[in-house]
Amino acid sequence: MKTYFFLGKGGVGKTTASAAWSVGLARSGMKTLVASIDPAHNLGDAFAADLGDRITHVADNLDAVEVNIDDMIRAYLDELSVKMKHTYSYMSAMNIDGYFDILKDSPGIEEYATMEAIKKFVALAQYDAVVFDTPPTGMTIRVLAMPRVSLLWTEQLVKMRKRILATRGMVENVQGRLEAQVDGETVVLSSDEKEDPIMQELVAYREELKTLKDMFSSDQSYVSIVTMAEDLALLETKRIIESLGKFRIRVHAIYLNKFFAMANPPDEIKGKMEEQERVVARMKAEIPGIAVKDIPLLRNSPRGIEALFTVYSKYLV
Amino acid sequence: MGRLLDSLKRGFRSFDKGMREDATSLIRKQLDEEESVFALLTMGAFSGLPSPPTGVLLRILPHMSREISVMNKRSAGLDDVFSQTLGTFDID
Ligand SMILES: Nc1ncnc2c1ncn2[C@@H]1O[C@H](COP(=O)(O)OP(=O)(O)O)[C@@H](O)[C@H]1O
Ligand SMILES: [Mg+2]
Repeated sequence: MKTYFFLGKGGVGKTTASAAWSVGLARSGMKTLVASIDPAHNLGDAFAADLGDRITHVADNLDAVEVNIDDMIRAYLDELSVKMKHTYSYMSAMNIDGYFDILKDSPGIEEYATMEAIKKFVALAQYDAVVFDTPPTGMTIRVLAMPRVSLLWTEQLVKMRKRILATRGMVENVQGRLEAQVDGETVVLSSDEKEDPIMQELVAYREELKTLKDMFSSDQSYVSIVTMAEDLALLETKRIIESLGKFRIRVHAIYLNKFFAMANPPDEIKGKMEEQERVVARMKAEIPGIAVKDIPLLRNSPRGIEALFTVYSKYLV
Repeated sequence: MGRLLDSLKRGFRSFDKGMREDATSLIRKQLDEEESVFALLTMGAFSGLPSPPTGVLLRILPHMSREISVMNKRSAGLDDVFSQTLGTFDID
């Protein structure tokens, strides 16, 4: 399974690039899914098709989907709260609702849900490749960093849990099985890792996170930056590469979209064109080892399979 | 004769158990503390402590009801648990 991510600010051309890329992969014979995980969806616009939460067939070898992250969060929390109310009847419903009200808005929940969406799609065995149309850069970096950061915490919690179970074992040796009263019900506290549901969950989650972390850092995962040939983009691009580097994620290519090319430019835009040339030259010099490609500003916004394939074959590969 | 031996044995056993329980009451206390720290840390989102990424919390939340109740009972003695939490948690 190969994965592709196109990072950039809103409006730079992430959707266009990821849609075009997915068309290119599909035409090369790879079973491809293009999934928008950007809450501001416009993948449907690029394909000139109605897309939504259901995976839709858009061309030979190519399916597309737009994930509603907010719905995903709501559905997940609802399910969890129902489950908890059911299992723990002795906890008052009001209490549980209170916790979930906080959780709903807790920092990082959107990143978490986005990571879960990615996990879900890469687990689909019927595809050879998944192309992600991502939210704006900052959010996407946090999502890509999430497995590594969560893993740190999970490993720490596993250690703490191990210590608790070992201490429980010592108490157990003398007093027999440990029990606790929780709101009037007796709960058995096992010292066996296999019988401790929290330990089991932590260990399972740790494995999932490791898999995802390794996937993001592997040579099967391609992360590219979409930006424009402007002075400010240079610094920003360097910063993205540096942040991703901290999480061992390598940037594959930089696309300078909406590149202005003209044979005899009028004076009004000469300055702009000089800026473009300057940025291209500096990117190539200051960011070694990463391909820099420009995509010209096209007369028409590329829409539909054919237009997207043209973008892919002329400018992306 | 057999009865006397039995009651002696019983006596020794409960004496021994008493001694051991004294020693384990310390361990029990340690266990309580460890469990509280775990509860506070994982439920940190509700107490303003540094807390694990929401994903980690969501995964173990269904199994945390006991931890939640431990924390609620403990919130009176929050001060020492705070300092313990900080001491226990060091990311390497
Ligand atoms: N090279 C290009 N030439 C002309 N229009 C473009 C080009 N790239 C993107 N566009 C148009 O610019 C708008 C924003 O691009 P889009 O891919 O939706 O950006 P993003 O997903 O990053 O917000 C869209 O209308 C798109 O069709
Ligand atoms: Mg978009």
